[in-house]
Order: sequence, then structure tokens, then C-alpha cells
Amino acid sequence: MPERALGGYKVLSLGHHIAGPYCTCLLAGWGAEVIKIERPGSGDPARSMAPFFQDKPHPEKSLLFLYLNTRKKSITLNLKTETGKKILKELIRDTDILVENFSPRVMSGLGLDYESLEKMNPALIMTSISNFGQTGPYRDFRSSEVVAQSLGGLTYMTGDPDRSPLKLGGYQAQYQAGLNGGMATLTALWCRENTGVGQHVDISIMECIGSIMEHLDAQWEYYREIAVREGQRWIGRACWGPYECKDGWVTMCLLRRRMRPLGDVVGEPVLKNPEYLMNTGLYADEIDMLLKPALENITKDEFYRKGQDAGMPVGIVATPKDILESPQLQARNYHVEIDHPVIGKLRYPGAPVIADGTPWVTGRAPLLGEHNEEIFCNRLGYSKQDLAKLKEYGVI
Amino acid sequence: MDSRNGALAGVRVCSLGAIWALPHPTQIMADMGAEVIKLESIQVGRQTYVTTPYPDVYRGFADLDPGEHPWNRAVYFNDGHVGMKSVTIDLTRPKGKELLRKLVLATDFICENFSTGVMERLGLGYDVLKSWREDVIYLSLPGYGNTGPEADYVAYGTNQLGMTGITHLTGYIGGDPHQVAINYADPAAGIHAIMAVLAAMLYRKKTGKGQFIDGSQRETSIRCVGEYILDYQANGRLGTRMGNREPSRAPCGIYRSAGPDKWIAISVGSDEEWEALCRAMDDPMWAKDEKFADHLSRLKNQDELDRHIEEWTSQMAPYEAMLTLQHAGVAAGPALTNAEVFEDWQNKARNFYQSVDHPEVGPRRHPCIGWMMSRTPRHIPRAAPCLGEHNEYVLGELLGLTRKEIAELEVEEIIGKVPLPEADPMSRPEPGRIRSKAEQMPSD
Repeated sequence: MPERALGGYKVLSLGHHIAGPYCTCLLAGWGAEVIKIERPGSGDPARSMAPFFQDKPHPEKSLLFLYLNTRKKSITLNLKTETGKKILKELIRDTDILVENFSPRVMSGLGLDYESLEKMNPALIMTSISNFGQTGPYRDFRSSEVVAQSLGGLTYMTGDPDRSPLKLGGYQAQYQAGLNGGMATLTALWCRENTGVGQHVDISIMECIGSIMEHLDAQWEYYREIAVREGQRWIGRACWGPYECKDGWVTMCLLRRRMRPLGDVVGEPVLKNPEYLMNTGLYADEIDMLLKPALENITKDEFYRKGQDAGMPVGIVATPKDILESPQLQARNYHVEIDHPVIGKLRYPGAPVIADGTPWVTGRAPLLGEHNEEIFCNRLGYSKQDLAKLKEYGVI
Repeated sequence: MDSRNGALAGVRVCSLGAIWALPHPTQIMADMGAEVIKLESIQVGRQTYVTTPYPDVYRGFADLDPGEHPWNRAVYFNDGHVGMKSVTIDLTRPKGKELLRKLVLATDFICENFSTGVMERLGLGYDVLKSWREDVIYLSLPGYGNTGPEADYVAYGTNQLGMTGITHLTGYIGGDPHQVAINYADPAAGIHAIMAVLAAMLYRKKTGKGQFIDGSQRETSIRCVGEYILDYQANGRLGTRMGNREPSRAPCGIYRSAGPDKWIAISVGSDEEWEALCRAMDDPMWAKDEKFADHLSRLKNQDELDRHIEEWTSQMAPYEAMLTLQHAGVAAGPALTNAEVFEDWQNKARNFYQSVDHPEVGPRRHPCIGWMMSRTPRHIPRAAPCLGEHNEYVLGELLGLTRKEIAELEVEEIIGKVPLPEADPMSRPEPGRIRSKAEQMPSD
């Protein structure tokens, strides 16, 4: 049986939607046991989020939920009841890590603030992910993907100069927060393994974006220049960004010697002009006027292979189809087939990295309350009759 | 460990990480108290990443001035290596490899994000390092991984972002896949990878076993769009560009604010939030139209809705709009510029931007990390290092070399503090190509 890096560690997750679940998804993948606590009846709100399998809304068919909650257990608990809180505390006493991503008032409103929980379990690591952190004037403000990316400074600099700022596609701020949550949790765990005590980890989605401005915040701090939207070019340079080709889009990051093979690869010899190679900014328009028509004759795969074979840093703007069909990803066994009792088998993105001593481990997302019996009866000692009563009272 | 210095106090990292993918997460570790030693060389110099389209304006340097030691004034490097120490070692020579061996024995893990095979060709692959110490933890994070038909392909940030599927989803509504201002796949990759290293460290603490961790920057970051991979299989959809809209939210977007190139992001996802928005706008007549009466109708009439919203937001400065909306109960925030982020109230309250003093560049502010901890501090411990600044400390204090031995290594140019003439030319731009500061600075 392969070793698990985080084998033996227990995680309780009150995470919902994206950020909390992505954090615990990573902890589960590295081997921790993750018990997801969901609201009775409807469960994690992400179960109601599109896209759905075959576009049929159903709590066991949300593809977002299924992806974010691999290899977790699910129990239902109504935390607005005293019994629900009591059972949660029983679980917390015995857990290593608690992850939640409610608005900051919620946990203290339930009597589940870190200070209270620490008393019953001093070794507890509580990871709280929130829009703006547990402190500060924005603490109780609302947020969303586009708002978080904007307050982080990312959108202003992305897009066209004569149009609005632009956000990154998908849910990047929330994924980043979950990802930072994973690293922060293990950081706190390391500290605990060396000192014996846990602590409260306070993650701010706004700060997670603010911390990845690359050098663009330094551009202000080091020479007082505002980073403006530059359209498809990067710092005014041609050959550094996405370009349309015959059957889709490619990307390239070409300059000087790396750009030399471009003329041959796309069949436009004028692009070999050494002045162009040295000054992709100064001659950006001239280069694009030659390059764009030439690319109409080459497919993205051809451009990628020929370009890379010639030593050029180029890529494709991959679609999900490209990703599933990629020979590289297939060779690395990246996609993992996971079977699910309601939707059947699909291939999921797999291990973020290959740790040969303690491989990534995965499994399907849980059905709502699937592990109630395992946890409440086998682990906490409640009887099946107790469970029936708890169900009647709306506790589970 | 003295955790008053941070949750990772006592952890020591040997990083050959370049550009951003590994500097970013190791920088996070430094802010948590780890000692991060960046391994460089005077043979290669420092990539100063001159970020200008014009050949003779040096926007890659602090105050637009390369100064006498351009390699210590590079903006990209300095910003990306805040908190770290620097030692230079020529790994191509036997004495250099011996120094690396000592360093590997003295650190908790080694990480690199070179192109595939670079370390192997130097005779410094995992097998060799494992012979030095059985329990070594070695992270290798090239663009596409250490194995497979594309393992030796060259990456670069913009390409990576495309390969992960994120660029395909980024762009104006109905528009082209769009360039992004940052190399987003880099930090996404780096943090996934370093999280795995922390897990490996925890495992080694329990079992004594180290391991080799082979990452692909592509594979890490595809995980940030996983739901689209499933959607394609289940529903045949490739996904498309949605501009600033979020699924199931309306109104949702970035709207013009009062002032030149000023913008406010607003996002409404429920009837409750819609009512709050209407109140904040003083219940305008147009909002009572049937077209906007319920969530589904608002989603269907989003274009018209956006036009109305923008008429209102155009009258208000960004923060004014944000506070009005947030106090009513609506998610909103300005699209802050790279200058405004430093002054934002929330960032100031949480001491997110911290100033550190650099010997050649002076005090500069940098962002800290995305989280705080209750018992241990988050704190940028120092400015970026000068090239080889910590040679004496690392080689002498940590590795036990004598002053004489260190001096010999300097003479042999195995270590040093100044890039050699054959190093990256951008480390030492020719004096003749530098324009005076007066000519370079943009006029106010």
C-alpha cells in the first residue's frame, strides 16, 4: 500500500463553494482524511452550481462540486441546532485541522470561534479563508470573483487600453485562495509538529491576488510607472502573447535568438530581419502585419511542434479537448479516471506534482451525507436509532 | 525552533528556482521565517529582465538607473527575491559541486525549475544527491515535467498559461483569447509544488524518508480550471470567453467610474443583493422594469442592465461607489492600479505592503503573503540579496569553510559578487547605451 504524505492527519471541512473545498481537496490528495460537513437537505451550495452533468441540475451532478470534492467523506450537520454544534465539537476535539470559508462573523456567531475551539483542542489548526481576512475595514464586505481580482490589482492591467479592465477566466481568485490555504495549513502543521501548539490561519482572498502582481507593483514602487492595459502585446512587444492561426490560437514568447527560426517555421522570410529580432517593441506593427497572415496557413499543432523543434518557446491556447488529448499529459498519466455512482466515469485533472515516495491519491466526491453512519455511529458511538432521531429533529 | 520568528523558523531552503515559479512560494516561506538561500553564479549573472521595447531605456532598473552594479538594481529580481539570501557557486566545476553537496546536507530541501535535464547534465540529478543524503527532498519543476515526449520543450509564462487552458477562458465577451498582465501559471504552479514539499517534509519527519518530486508547471495549473475539463467530457462544451461576467450573476462586470480610466467591479448574485443595489442607486425607475424583476430575467437582459448600471457608476468615483454599494450589501470594489494597491485601507490595516531597506536601492515596499497566523508573524525579513551577498555567511558559518578557503574560491571564480564578462549581457548593459536619467524619466 503506497505511503501517504499526510496519512494519519484528520481534517474537518466546513468549506463550501470553491476556496475552502479546493484547500481540503489538496489536503485529501496528499493523504489526509477529509470529512466534509454539509447542511442537511441541500448540502454544500456548490452542489447547485453549474455546469451539471448533461445539464441536469441535481445535487449529485454538479461537475464543479464533483471536481472540488474528490476523496472526501460527507456528513450532514445542522449547525444552527445545539445538538449539531455539540456533535461538531466532539469531532473537533479529535481533529487536527478545521477548514472553513464563511464570512468572518459566522463562526463566532455559532460559538465556534478559534479562541473557544482552542480551549478544547490546543493542537487544533483552524484555517479560515474569507474575502478580505478576519480583520480590517473590509472584513464584513461582500466579494465575488471579479471584485476580488479587481481589488487585488489584477484586472486594471489586463485587457485593451480602450476597453474595460479584464478578469482572468474561471474562478482564479477562489482557487488561489484555496491553494494558499493548502500551503498555509501545512505551514501551520509543520509549526505544530515542532512546538505542539496549533493556531488560527487567516487567509484573505484579496491578499492572495495582491501577492501575485509579479513585478508590476514594483514597477510603481521602483520607478513610479502605472501598469496600463496593453491589449495583446506584452510591454509593447509583438511575438509575446496569443496569436490566431488556421484552426485556433497559439502563444509565443519570442525575442532575439529565440525568434530567429520564426520566419522559417511560418514561411515568411522577412521575419528573419535581425532588426525585428532585436526590437520586437519598436517594430511591433511591422512584425504583426507579416506574422498574422502567415499564421493563417499553419495549424496550432504544427506551429507548436515545428516551433519547439526549432527551439522556440511557443505553445497553444489549449482547450479542454487539447488538454485531454495531449500526448504529453497522457504519457505522464495526468488524467485520472474516477467512477461515480450517479454520473459514471470521467477523467479528472490529476496530481499537481508527482511525489514518488508519497503519491497523490484520489477518489470520487461523496454523496450527501454518505458517511453519516460511518462517522456518527462507528466513530462517535451513536446508535442507528439516534441517527433516526437526529434526522427527525433536523440535526442531520 | 523559535516560532516567534515565524511558523517555519529553523527551516532552511536551498533554491535554484529562477524567474517566478519557485521564487514566489519560497518567498512565502521566507515571510514565514524560513531561511531561503538562493543559489546563483557569477558565470550566469542575474537575469535583469529588462522590460522595455526600446533598446536604450532601462525600465528594468530601480529609478530607471542601472547604476554601477546593475545586477543588484534589477526590479524583477529584487521584487521576486525579497526575503532571501544569495550565495554564488559555479556548479560546473568539482569544487562547486562539493559546495552544493555540503549545502544539501545543511538544508531541508533543494528545488529548481530549470528546463528538463539541466541538473542531470551537471551530474547533479536526484540519484547523485540521494547518494549524498538518503533522505534528500528534491523538487524539480520544469515547464512540462521531467518525462514525456514534450519534456524538453521550452516553456515561458505566457505559453504555460495557454497550455493550462486558462488563456482560452480569458477575454472579452465573444472576443479573442486574451493576453494577461502577469504570468499567472507561475505562482499557481509554485505554490502547488511547495505545498507538496511541505507534505514531504512532514512525512520525512515521521519516517526519515525523503523523495524526488517531479512537477510540471502545466499540470499544476490545469487544476485551476478542472470543472471545464469535466464539462467538456459530460456536455461537449469547450468553454468560452465571458468577459467580466460570472456564471449566474447579474449584473456582474467592471463598469466605468468618474475620472480618467477609472473603473468599479460590481457583482450581484441574489434577489437580496439586487434590492440592495437598487436602494444604493436610489431606486431608479428603470430598475422597476419587468426585464429586471427577477434573477433569470436579469441574466437574460444583462447587456441592457450593464448599460444602466454604467450610467450610474460613471457619476461616482470608484471608492465612493464601493463604499455606497458595500454599505447597502452589494459586492463591489475598484479596479485598483498598481499604485493604488499600496494605499488601499484594507491593505494598510493589515500591513500587507511592507518596506525593507536594500543597500543599493534603498527602502522599497513589497507585498507580503495571502495570509496571517495567530501565533506566529508574517513579516518580510529583509530586502532582496545582492549577488553573492551571503557567500561568507553560507560558506563560512553554515558550511564551515575557513576564510582562506573562501578566498581561494573567489580567486578561482567559483564564487564571487560580480558577474563575469561572459555572463548574461543584460547583467551589465554597455555604458554607451544608457541614456541619462533626465532623458529616461517620463515627464509629469
